[in-house]
Amino acid sequence: MIYYITSLMHYIREGVKRLILNLDGTKPIYVQISEWLENEILNGNVASEQKIYSQYQLAEIFNINPATAAKGLNILADEQILMKKRGLGMFVTGNAKEMILNKRKNQTLKRLVQEIVLEAGRLQVSKEELIDMIKTADIGGTEQ
Amino acid sequence: MTVIECRGLTKVYGGAKALNNLSCNIEENKITGLIGRNGAGKTTLLKIIAGFLKETSGELTVFSENPFNNLLVSANVIFIHDQMNLPTSLNLKEILETAASFYENWDHDLANRLLEYFSLNPLQHHNGLSKGMKSTFNVIFGLAARVPLTLFDEPTSGMDAAVRKDFYRALLKDYLAHPRTIIISSHHLNEIEDLLEDILLMKDGKELLHLPIADLKEWGIGLQGKTAIVDEWTQNKELIYTKSVGFDQSYVVVRNDFSESEWQKARIAGLELTPVTSSDLCVYLTSKTKGGIDDVFNKG
Amino acid sequence: MSLTKVSMVDVVKKQYLYKLKAYSQVFMSLIFIQLLAVLFSMNGVGGLGSSEGSFQIEIKYFSAVMVVAFTMLWGFITAIIITTKAYRNDDFVFVTNRASSNLSNIVFLLTASIIGGITSMLSTYLIKVIVYYLISDVSLKSTSVMSAPNEFFLGSFSTFLYIFLFCALGYLIGTLVQINKVFAVLIPAAFFGGLIFDGLRGNEGVIAKGFNFFFMEPSLTLFLIKVIVTAGLLISFAFALSNRMEVRS
Repeated sequence: MIYYITSLMHYIREGVKRLILNLDGTKPIYVQISEWLENEILNGNVASEQKIYSQYQLAEIFNINPATAAKGLNILADEQILMKKRGLGMFVTGNAKEMILNKRKNQTLKRLVQEIVLEAGRLQVSKEELIDMIKTADIGGTEQ
Repeated sequence: MTVIECRGLTKVYGGAKALNNLSCNIEENKITGLIGRNGAGKTTLLKIIAGFLKETSGELTVFSENPFNNLLVSANVIFIHDQMNLPTSLNLKEILETAASFYENWDHDLANRLLEYFSLNPLQHHNGLSKGMKSTFNVIFGLAARVPLTLFDEPTSGMDAAVRKDFYRALLKDYLAHPRTIIISSHHLNEIEDLLEDILLMKDGKELLHLPIADLKEWGIGLQGKTAIVDEWTQNKELIYTKSVGFDQSYVVVRNDFSESEWQKARIAGLELTPVTSSDLCVYLTSKTKGGIDDVFNKG
Repeated sequence: MSLTKVSMVDVVKKQYLYKLKAYSQVFMSLIFIQLLAVLFSMNGVGGLGSSEGSFQIEIKYFSAVMVVAFTMLWGFITAIIITTKAYRNDDFVFVTNRASSNLSNIVFLLTASIIGGITSMLSTYLIKVIVYYLISDVSLKSTSVMSAPNEFFLGSFSTFLYIFLFCALGYLIGTLVQINKVFAVLIPAAFFGGLIFDGLRGNEGVIAKGFNFFFMEPSLTLFLIKVIVTAGLLISFAFALSNRMEVRS
């Protein structure tokens, strides 16, 4: 749970290049890799239509098995955030950014909300109270 | 391509079965982690692959040939282990030079640079090195040989944390540049798991699990909550590990075959679902009792 | 990564070169043992003396027979040593199988026997020189290699054969001991038991006959055949026994 929140925070703090993956984390590494790649795309470090890191480059950067890195790449290829060009490697698709943003809204944010609601239930915080907390939460003035 | 094929492999050592009807395949150019408790048969398996030992029954082939007394296998396999005794009359430099004459793809430049990096004196003798230094030299030997099948049996024993880390990095970098089949056995799964593609878990001379390491992370799941609720959710499941936590709370590890909706229901029912790390899962799977060491103390 | 193809001859050659380098202490011990034998020879290896009145005649023979005997023992022990686990397991660090390991050992023992044979013969000259300077009234047979090259080469060759025969015997015994430690007790017991038994019976026993079979052979050709056949049998037996031996540390 903590991981989700921190990753959301990183996601909000745009422009911060995060090279250290949470390798001890409970999330599978390939998922972390695909999330890192998404961040790279969102940050604009890798522009659309541009070639993304190869599995070997990723293996080298994060000290992981190239097969694991390939798995992370393939998740994004399946979601059509990346596309394979035979013999050339993988490239960022034109609307990758939007797709990532949509995905995160629909999946990550949804799950985080559920966690918050569950925790609120345990702490006997009413729904109204929770909504108030969200409204007053300080997000540092950045609009997403 | 399959590099190692093994069918019904059994090895009897003084009446005890070190390997008991083991069957497994190792694919080309993968790094496989060989994990198991002491006495699970890891070293015996590696020694048969290297052609050091002869199987009692069953069949094992390396590059489609029986490795025992096979020059082709010997020239293309290197077996690095902590009992390795290298010629005592030669110094480290001479040992590396000799190895260079035997192994066709030997990278002498790499060997020398690693020797220097790890501050090993080339004029030293192997038997005069400390345990950690010996292991360091052995892995340099194993990496520089650059053979199609490299076997590391507990390669890091005695190394300090910094050297272990450097070794893992060196192994990965050389593997990326020169992909080859590597089997590495270790007690430190948490240290090596990121390097691995597959994991072969052994128990009592048999294969317990053989799967991609990524799948292992999702293979099991830990449930924690009120004992009654946990029991209800794990009724028809095989319990891999159980532990009582505090008052009327228990923690149970089962196979992760819950669907997404079941996940949600379990959470709402008040269960905390947590992934199980690979190394914990391996410990649970290979332990003799479901409760581990706690069972010994709970008997009274 | 493509597989490396290897040939037996190539591997044996590499193993042999490695052994020449790694087993260099074998040759150090040869020098030591031969010098020791030379020292022992100074007392003469045989002689007779008689006295009549105030005259006393003493005749002493000096020869390298002691050096040859010591060198044969050295060959025997060297062969046993290289069959031990420490040496055998070293081979498996590099490319080998049991056959190439055995073959390279035999080629190494052949080399050691040749060097042992030549140095034994050369020690004859060393003894002669020492005797010449230390003892007066000596009669020396030929003094240089060049004056009797045939004698030198023949001597070296037959000494080499003797040493190699002992190497082959040592190699088999060493291999037997590696297979079962019982042989480490059994073989010396049988040997000395046989000697004592022969001695008690007072006539020629198996051991003495065996000794005569090789050492009393007057024909070089017959002797050569005897050694080749015997050493061949001993070595083949050792090969057959060790071919299923496992590498255990």
